[in-house]
Order: sequence, then structure tokens, then C-alpha cells
Amino acid sequence: MSANVTDPIIVLENVDKFFGPFQALKNVSLSVRKGEKIVVCGPSGSGKSTMIRCINRLEEHNSGTIIVNGHELTDKTNDIDAVRSEIGMVFQSFNLFPHMTVLRNLMLAPRLVRKTNKVEAEALARQYLERVRIPEQADKYPIQLSGGQQQRVAIARALCMKPEVMLFDEPTSALDPEMISEVLDVMVDLAREGMTMICVTHEMGFARSVADKVVFMDGGEIVEVAGPTEFFESPRNERTKLFLSQILAH
Amino acid sequence: MSALTGWWDDFFWGSVVVGQVFFVSLILMVVFGLIGAAAKLSKSRVAQRIADAYTVVFRGTPELLVLLLIYFGSAVTLTAIAQLFDPSVKFVDIPPFWAGSFSIALIVGSYATETFRGAFMGVNPGHIEAARALGLSSVQTFFYVRIPEMWRLALPPFGNHMLSLIKDTALISIIGLNETLFAAEQAIGATGKPFTMYIVVGCIYLGFSTIITLTVMALEKYANRHLERAR
Amino acid sequence: MSFDVALIVDSIPKMLMGLGLTLQLLILSAVLGLLLATVLLLMRISGKWYLDLPAQAYIYVFRGTPILVQIFIVYYGFPQLGFIRDSFLWPILREPFGCAVVALSLNTGAYVSEILRGGVLGVDRGLHEAGSALGLSAHQRFIYITTPLAVRLAIPAYSNDVVSLMKSTALASTITLLDMMGIARTIVAETYAPYEIFISLAVIYLIMTWFIQKAFGVFERFMSRHERQ
Repeated sequence: MSANVTDPIIVLENVDKFFGPFQALKNVSLSVRKGEKIVVCGPSGSGKSTMIRCINRLEEHNSGTIIVNGHELTDKTNDIDAVRSEIGMVFQSFNLFPHMTVLRNLMLAPRLVRKTNKVEAEALARQYLERVRIPEQADKYPIQLSGGQQQRVAIARALCMKPEVMLFDEPTSALDPEMISEVLDVMVDLAREGMTMICVTHEMGFARSVADKVVFMDGGEIVEVAGPTEFFESPRNERTKLFLSQILAH
Repeated sequence: MSALTGWWDDFFWGSVVVGQVFFVSLILMVVFGLIGAAAKLSKSRVAQRIADAYTVVFRGTPELLVLLLIYFGSAVTLTAIAQLFDPSVKFVDIPPFWAGSFSIALIVGSYATETFRGAFMGVNPGHIEAARALGLSSVQTFFYVRIPEMWRLALPPFGNHMLSLIKDTALISIIGLNETLFAAEQAIGATGKPFTMYIVVGCIYLGFSTIITLTVMALEKYANRHLERAR
Repeated sequence: MSFDVALIVDSIPKMLMGLGLTLQLLILSAVLGLLLATVLLLMRISGKWYLDLPAQAYIYVFRGTPILVQIFIVYYGFPQLGFIRDSFLWPILREPFGCAVVALSLNTGAYVSEILRGGVLGVDRGLHEAGSALGLSAHQRFIYITTPLAVRLAIPAYSNDVVSLMKSTALASTITLLDMMGIARTIVAETYAPYEIFISLAVIYLIMTWFIQKAFGVFERFMSRHERQ
């Protein structure tokens, strides 16, 4: 699928999502072009995670349209696994497969989904471990690594599928403070290389230096979308101002 | 179905016996379990070792073997004692009802020991510390914090212990207790319909199990009411 | 009353002649029960009510009734039914050994399927999601992620169930089989020495229990090698 550079790679239009009676997403619309870096922020429970989880259909939206890489996600999407293999996802809690070594975590999907042979898969895995700067950990089990190292392995695991887009769901929230920067550094590298990224994060320094657009969500709605300078210097919405004053105050 | 005519009485009274054995053994089981758990949690090495031996032995030997050992063992002993006084005595036993209830309570009590001990240990130590930090005495902490949390933890496995007890009552027919299996044997002797009669016994036990399961579910719902999410 | 050591020395070899039968009952029922449990588990997690409901009903009935009653239904009850006497299973169900294996397998299958299901449900949901996000199909996730982790989680409970099954094999003695328990009961009926015989037999069973637990302990350590820091 060769999309024009200016074409959006991800489109959400009027998306609603309910958990029982609770509406988690209200009429959410967003479009992301290839190479764009989007930072999504907002208070907890604002629907940020739900939104990016809808993009690879870990959650199923109830109404509206989601188009990823030219495929509309519906109940009838039977090649959802193929769509997902083009979208990398990094979770807050790493979710490395505990029974596999780092190397096998990285090789699993290329071998099963891409049908890459073992030698190539291993070479690919080692290459990406190099990129996240932990080649020496290849034969360890996840539990033997620090949180920061585990999250970098998780990023490398997603990259091994050579995804078109990377989704980050609060990748540094479960980390001890001293490990946050090692993960952010890897993400900044990735952004510089031109990866399309949607990051749910509270790391405002990261947002300032990397984001093309900052999306602020509250109560399931997208309240404000702006470039980082505008977003931080002159937010328009009162809720955005309140949020920023709360997280930047100290 | 017509084969059952005239036998409902026997099955009914057999069920009553099953219920009686269940209640007696339930009480004994709780007693054994609490004593076992207290011994395991005590500081006395000897008590710990005895309780360990109790759980290892009774969880590792067949239920039938324990039952036969206790019933025939006690009978041999009692008979020997009785013969000291009256040499003409042939056989003295503890009635199967009591020997059986005692045996299955002893067996299931060994499992309950671990349940009670686990529930005691499973109470969040932070909650205990919080209570003590607030100035509650150790007795107050025990009754207001530890016990309520313990019983919530112990309830699911305790439900399984009750199911074990009710099912183990069937074994006691082997030493001659006139419960439902015994009634079935009588009925089979007269009608020659073993499948029908044993299915009836199965249904009776399924009924008992259902009552126990529903009771435990209701209790669990009550015990976990504070864990339900606010709406 | 005295403890007759000579009788014990004399009886242990006799009881051990039933060890082979006890082990046959145990191993055959464990293997067949595990197969049945796997089928029941797949029915339970299939997400299709017409597979899930029958499996649930089966598990409910077999866990809600005594194993002794199940053995009696198979051994004494089935011959009452003409279609069973005419079926290809009759050569198996005609023999007490076949009946014991059938009843024990049907029983343990119900328990083990719930143990396996506990293992499956115990696997962290985040790992499924990570698998999904990488594009693994449901099938691949089940084989490469769920199964190895669920097996690891289920081992302790499964080990206990094998011990239970071993204890239940003693009930085969109620349908005329001369396993260790059956032989012991014969000896007690002859000698009227329940303490000597039954306590010796209890020791034999305890050794078997110890052995089963040790074996599964080794297996568990092997399966959790990734958990060592």
C-alpha cells in the first residue's frame, strides 16, 4: 500500500465508544498524516488510552469510522491481524512474554506473522536491540531486566514488524523516575527517523520537543488540538489551561 | 420410574442421614481445621510438627483407607477392652454414623487447616499496621480487621471443603451406614434396577451440592459487597 | 493387644502385588482424563454456547456427585441398559477394571478441565493484547502465549488432582478389584488386624503421594525457569 505522503494514514471520524452505560469516547475525530508525531494528553479517565486502543481494535468502537492504512475497521474486518501487524504498540506495563527470552520475544511475530526465516528474524531482532541500546540483554528473560530495559525491549519488539505507525500508551508511567529518560531517548530517536507516532503521555518535555500536534482530551472528547508551542504558550480552552496549570505547577 | 414406587421413603430417610452426617462432620471439620491452623501458626515447634504431620498424612492417604482404619481400628480396640470385662463379647464398635463423621471431618479438616492458615497469612499486613497505628488494641485489630478479611479469603476454598464433605458421606455406606447408597442397595435387591437406583442417589447428591454451592455464592456476594464498584 | 510386626513384614509384599494395578488405574485414568479435560476446556472457552453449555453441565454433574456413586453407576448400573450391552464399549465395561478406568477418567476430566481453565484465565490479559497488537492470530496467541503460561500456572493444582486421583483408585476395591486397597481389605478380613495392615498401606500411599508431588515440583521448576531473577 503506497499512500501519498500527504494522505492521512489514520482517520477517526465521529467515533463513539461505550463501556456499558459509560461513554468513553464522544464524537472523536482525528486524522494523522504519515510521519506526523501526535502527543495525546489529558486527565486520567479522559479516553486517551481508549482512543489509541481503538486504532488497532483492542477496543471495538460503537459508531463512527476508523480507517487505518486504507482499511476501515468494522465488525467484518477479518484481516484485523494483518492491519495490526502494520501498527506497533507499546503498553504501559510492557507486556513482554515472560516465558520467552528477549530475543525470542522479538523474533516471535516476524516468524509467525511475516514468515521470516529464523536466521533473518534473529538478525532483525539483534539489529533492533542495538537500536534501543541493549544488545547485550538478548538472552535474558524479561524479569531479569529493569523496567526501563523492558520497555525498550517492548519498543524493539514492535519495531521488528517494521510498522507504519507506532502507538505508545503511557510508555513511561510505570517506570521509576530515573529510567524514564532512557525510554524517552529511544522514542526521540524514532521520531527523528520519521516514524509516524501517536503517544499518550504526560511527559510534556517530550511533547514540546517532538510533537507536531498536541491533542488534549477530557471526558471522552477531544477538547483542543494545537501545535506544541501554541498548546503550551497560549491554550484556548479553559479545561486545557486548568490541566496544564495542574501538571506544570510544580 | 415405576420401579421407584415404594422406595421414596428409604431414599428420603437416607438423605436425612446424609444431611445429619454433613452437619456433624462440618462442625468437627471446622474444629480440626482451626486447631490445625492454630498449631501451624503457633510458636511451638512441636505443635507445628504435629500439625504438619496431620496435613501430610490425611491429604496423602485414600479417604476410604482412613475411614476403614478408624472404624475397624476403634472396633478392635473397643472389643479388646470390653473382653477384659466380659470375655463373651464378640464385637463392639463405634456406630458407623460417628466413626464416619469423625473420619471425613478429620480428612477434610486437614485441607481446612491450610485454608485457615492461608487466610490468616493472606490478610494484608498493611491493614493490620494501619489498625495498630490508629491505636486499636491487638484484640480489636483481630476482630475488626483480621477476621472480616480472613473470612472473605477463606470462603471460596471453604465452599469446596463442604462439597468434599457431602460427597465423602457416600463412603460411609461401605461401613454400613444406612444412607442413600444403602437405600439404593436395598432397592436394587428387590427390583433389579441398579442404574435407576444409583442415578437417584446421584441426583440426591447433586441436589445437596447445589444447595451448598448456592449458599456459598450468596455468602461470597455478601462478603465481597465492598469490592463492587460504585455506580 | 499388640502390634504384630511379623504380620506387617508378611503383608507388605502381598499388598505391593496390587501396586501394578493401582498404577495402571492411575496412569490410564490420568491420561484419558487429561484428554477429556482438554476437550472440555476447548468447549468451555470456545465462546459458542452450544459447546460451552454441555461442557458446563458435564462438569457440574461430575463434580457435584461422589466418585463412589459414579463408579457404581458405571459398574452396577450400565449393564441394566441394553444399548450399552450391545455397544462396542461392552468388552471394556463388562470388566471391573474397565469400569474403574472409565469412571475415574470421567471424574478427573471434569476437575482437570476447571484447573486448566483457571490457568488459561490466569494469563495476564496484557499479554494477549501484546500478541494481538503484533498481529498474531487468535490461534497463534493460544499456542505460543496462552498455553505455555497456563500450563505453568496449572501445575500445582493439577499435581493435587493427580494425588486425589491416586487416592480415588482405592475405591476400585469396592467393585471387586484387587488393587493395594483390595488386597489390604482381604488381609484384614482374614487376620482382623486393621492397625498393622492399614497403617502399612497408608505409608505406601504416602510414599506415592510424595513421589507425585516431587515429580511435579521438578516439572514446575522447569516450566518456571523464566521466573528466576
